[in-house]
Amino acid sequence: MALQIDGPPKVVPGVEPPKAAKRRHKPGSWKLALKRDWRLYTLLALPLLYLLIFRYLPMAGNVIAFRQFQPGGSIFGEKWVGFKYVTLFINDPSFWQAFQNTIVLGVLTLVFCFPMPIIFALMLNELRSQKFKKFVQTVAYLPHLMSVVIIAGMILQNFSMTGTVNQIAESLFGTSVNFTQDPGWFRPMYISSEVWQTMGWGAILYLAALTRVDESLYEAARIDGANRWQQTWHVTLPAIRPTIITLLILNIGTFMAVGFEKILLIYNPLNYATSDVISTYLYRVGLESSNFSYAAAIGMFESVIGLTLILSANAISKRLAGTSLW
Amino acid sequence: MIHKPEFRRRDFLGLASVVTIGLMLTSCDADTGEKVDTSKSRNGAMDSFGVGDTFKATVPLTFTFLFSDQPTYPYKKDWLLFTKMASDNNVTLEPTIVPNSDYEQKRSLLISSGSAPEIIAKTYPGQEAAFVSAGAVLPVSDYVDLMPHFQEKVKKWKLEPEIEGLTQEDGKYYVLPGLHEELWPDYSLCVRKDVLKKEGLAEPTTWDEFREVLRSLKKAYPDVVPYSDRFKGDSVLNIASAAFGTVAGWGLVDGLQFDEDKKEFSFGAGSSKFKDLVTYFNSLVSEGLMDPESFTQTDDSAVQKFVSGKSFVISANSQNVITYRTSMEQSLGKGSFEIGKITVPRGPAGDIIGGSRLENGIMLNSSVKNKDSFVALIQYIDWLFYSDAGQEFSKWGVEGTTFTKSGGKRQLAGDINFQGLNPAGTKDLRVDYGFSGGNFAYGGTTDLLQSTFNDEELAFQEAMKSKKPRPVSPPVPFNDVDREQATLALTPLKDHVKQNTLKFITGQRPLGEFEAYVKELDSKGQTKYVDLANKAYKAYADKK
Amino acid sequence: MVNKSATAIKSTTAIKGSPSQGVLVKDMKVSRAMRVFRAFNLVFLLLVVFLTVYPFLNIIAQSFSSEGFINAGQVNLFPMGFNTETYKLILADSTFWNNYGNTVLYTVVATAISMVLTTSFAYAIAKKELKGRSVFIGLAVFTMFFNGGLIPNYVLISSLGMRDTIWAVVLPNAISVFNLLIMKSFFENMPRELEEAASIDGLTQYGVLFRVVLPLSKAIVATMVLFYAVANWNSWFQAFLYLDNPDLFPVTIYLRNMIAGVTTAGSAGGTAENVGQIAANIQSVTIVLTVIPILCVYPFVQKYFFSGVMLGSVKE
Repeated sequence: MALQIDGPPKVVPGVEPPKAAKRRHKPGSWKLALKRDWRLYTLLALPLLYLLIFRYLPMAGNVIAFRQFQPGGSIFGEKWVGFKYVTLFINDPSFWQAFQNTIVLGVLTLVFCFPMPIIFALMLNELRSQKFKKFVQTVAYLPHLMSVVIIAGMILQNFSMTGTVNQIAESLFGTSVNFTQDPGWFRPMYISSEVWQTMGWGAILYLAALTRVDESLYEAARIDGANRWQQTWHVTLPAIRPTIITLLILNIGTFMAVGFEKILLIYNPLNYATSDVISTYLYRVGLESSNFSYAAAIGMFESVIGLTLILSANAISKRLAGTSLW
Repeated sequence: MIHKPEFRRRDFLGLASVVTIGLMLTSCDADTGEKVDTSKSRNGAMDSFGVGDTFKATVPLTFTFLFSDQPTYPYKKDWLLFTKMASDNNVTLEPTIVPNSDYEQKRSLLISSGSAPEIIAKTYPGQEAAFVSAGAVLPVSDYVDLMPHFQEKVKKWKLEPEIEGLTQEDGKYYVLPGLHEELWPDYSLCVRKDVLKKEGLAEPTTWDEFREVLRSLKKAYPDVVPYSDRFKGDSVLNIASAAFGTVAGWGLVDGLQFDEDKKEFSFGAGSSKFKDLVTYFNSLVSEGLMDPESFTQTDDSAVQKFVSGKSFVISANSQNVITYRTSMEQSLGKGSFEIGKITVPRGPAGDIIGGSRLENGIMLNSSVKNKDSFVALIQYIDWLFYSDAGQEFSKWGVEGTTFTKSGGKRQLAGDINFQGLNPAGTKDLRVDYGFSGGNFAYGGTTDLLQSTFNDEELAFQEAMKSKKPRPVSPPVPFNDVDREQATLALTPLKDHVKQNTLKFITGQRPLGEFEAYVKELDSKGQTKYVDLANKAYKAYADKK
Repeated sequence: MVNKSATAIKSTTAIKGSPSQGVLVKDMKVSRAMRVFRAFNLVFLLLVVFLTVYPFLNIIAQSFSSEGFINAGQVNLFPMGFNTETYKLILADSTFWNNYGNTVLYTVVATAISMVLTTSFAYAIAKKELKGRSVFIGLAVFTMFFNGGLIPNYVLISSLGMRDTIWAVVLPNAISVFNLLIMKSFFENMPRELEEAASIDGLTQYGVLFRVVLPLSKAIVATMVLFYAVANWNSWFQAFLYLDNPDLFPVTIYLRNMIAGVTTAGSAGGTAENVGQIAANIQSVTIVLTVIPILCVYPFVQKYFFSGVMLGSVKE
């Protein structure tokens, strides 16, 4: 990160020079920890209380409710429900198609939508005019602020047979493509709209991280003969590396939640083969059935997967990159 | 990408858990099916209450009411509607106001958490099913003996089959639907009548004639695709399916069709009639007469084409026609066009239309049976929603104040306007007085219903009268276990139907593969599903 | 890796003042490639601007156009058939302003609460030597994937007596674990020397947080404020669930209700006179009314992004 280049940290006379970060490996001594860090623990108090009351208490309420009704022999007993549905959906080919699409779209989103904000932030960083930079940054996130309904309408309109994209395609290639109905084109359509929507907003964090970079580091690198690309590699990227990793892990963890509302608004039966994801499939199931235990069971399944994903991503990151979420 | 709104998706799954978990929490009292002895709950009730009587509570009563708030006429406490209820019926309604945008979600939440009001309006027949098994709503069929007006209308208008269709597995029904004297068909095709006239074409009366008209239009305007539809094609498939003797589009519902002769259900979307329907629409698309994007484009896109003159036919209800007309006056210029609905064309199965004479109605929170004014509440509902006087009151208001009646025809009072019926009025019947609002005013006699129609719509209704409504299907009351299986089987089935309907129609799949498609339905669980349905139906039929 | 490259540069910097000629030659070569790159960069960014601004301008134009042209798809960059009926209807409604005020209040309060909770939590768990740290982080991360569900939450809020109060809106989603973890990562990557020097100077952990860390974290704090504020500004679901009194609704519910009400108006069942006009541009009007304030506030946030905070401040 932005270290001082002129030399080691100045020492204030009269005080012992700071030792390297002491690693206190005294296991199990809460007393010591509290004594040293009680202020930190007070900072934790309110947030933990919040988590307890607003997150964990309802979860506990759930468990109790379920327990109460098991003796009654209700068919909604959770343990029973859980296993019953697991077998049900394992045997349902439509579910697996949805599952596969969820994974594919999730991966594609990671591959295309994750790097774009970074690239965008870097490109913005190259601008010399501060005014233009501010302007671009402000307008770039406008798509994030628009409601998903409007965006879906825009997507369908622009990709229709007579829409803008096809008009361009006609003039460039002489053919038009049935983007909205052909299953093969759903993924590009969805991903490109995701990139458009998230690039500007996503870059904000990286830009914030970039403000930490000491300008003199660039100077030093320049003098040293590094070209712009090398400067980016050695100065800029390292500055945002922790942010990138954090966001990557977080996004891997939440990737099952591939854009439900948006897909719901732009998909249609003709492209279910590639557009139907778990959440949209469940939505249709929910519309038919008057009992939603199936959806709840799958929700549980997704949560477990998500948690597993984030734990794995975290472990891998620790090993490969040295940093991780915890 | 960074901020997946954590809660958003949880909303849906959260709602999913609403019914399951919530109902478990509230289903503590398991005595839901027991009919209550009402002699103890007669506080405020009228001793003798029959057809033609106006309900007036013997003591002032208050009932809680779930009110769906419409932004175009937001709730006002001092509406004449409410003050009159207090003075004439001795009833005060205490509303819980819910924005109509998400009315159903909030309703589910309130019911499942046990905090729903007593009277729950705007419930479409079928929506009550979710709450039945946990006993959150009242089995109203047990108490219709207290509702003379309701019973009279059911008898007079021969609505028994429709009401039977609401029966649940325990033989009771749980919703009080809005009743219509006659079928009220609203959706049809809206055409550019001026273009037809210009080409010397008569309005089509059969689907074959419709195709001919499109062909002529295409010949005259080769660069135009004459028909580009909205509603994702579901509206036209629905109205056409009735004429072809099958189910499709909005009419697909649970995919079942009842055979009157064999007295059993079959899966409509695999029949030869269904094939005929699909073949017909395929011919429209393959000849370039119908835009294949009709089935996937947004309504806005379809409307744009019609309103800017790039297409000549589109689906519409009466309100849509008015919207199109206003838009076209701006985009094409007044006087340079003429549009209107055509009567729904006849098909191979005859001059048949689909639809139901039931519409959205009332659910009652099962807690009402414990009220000491229970009987009074029932009587009040009966009067307000099912008596001629009550319905006229909800729709038109107070005779002499908001409307006048002469020779059986109603007219708005001088200063009051509603839907352009009295353009000189400065006040609005709904906004300022609360009448004709969606929570109270629906259903009723044809005369009352049509009293607010404009001439164009009246002509349409008149022409549609000659059509035969489809026979009402009997109910398929599943028990909980079967229902679960059936609905889980239905989703992949319906998906397959919808996908292939579109594929066949747009030509993405050759019609020759229809038999293969029917076989695929079997592998998707069609037989199992139909068997479950017939099992439930037979169990019900045997009980009768 | 970070340290390595920085130190690499550090060591070579000692040789200041390379022969100017060599530098010049290098500079020129770099210049040409740089110029090409810069041109490409500019083009790309202009394209981005176009792709993001154009739809928005289109929406603004639609919000001022009349229904005929909107429905015919003829509105592009400029309003056609200039019409302000929808704006008039909404802006003249006192409920709208009341609800707008609610939104502002909720956003401010919720963001403040969220910032306090998130920042303090993030700072504490950013300290690697904090005992029990993994547990605390785990507790937070777990809630990202599992929650109690609508009904238990509803019952909880009801029993706490918070229904129909501002607390039901601002408290339940106070901490976003996403934001929390991002902030934690920022705090973790602050140079330790700064904090250690400050604590040597006699500052307590509170002092370090308030006097050293936060002032140097203006960018991330500003970003988090922006994230929370925008999320709260656009939220409607919490309010919808827990508020029954229409006077307490945020403006998002008002507008959402309006959209649903006019676009699904039943046929012949009754509609207001100008529903056609409202239905045609209510969505675009809604976007304009809710986005413009965010755009106005953003420049204030943005200045923290360009403050170019110098981390050499520890020297003095």
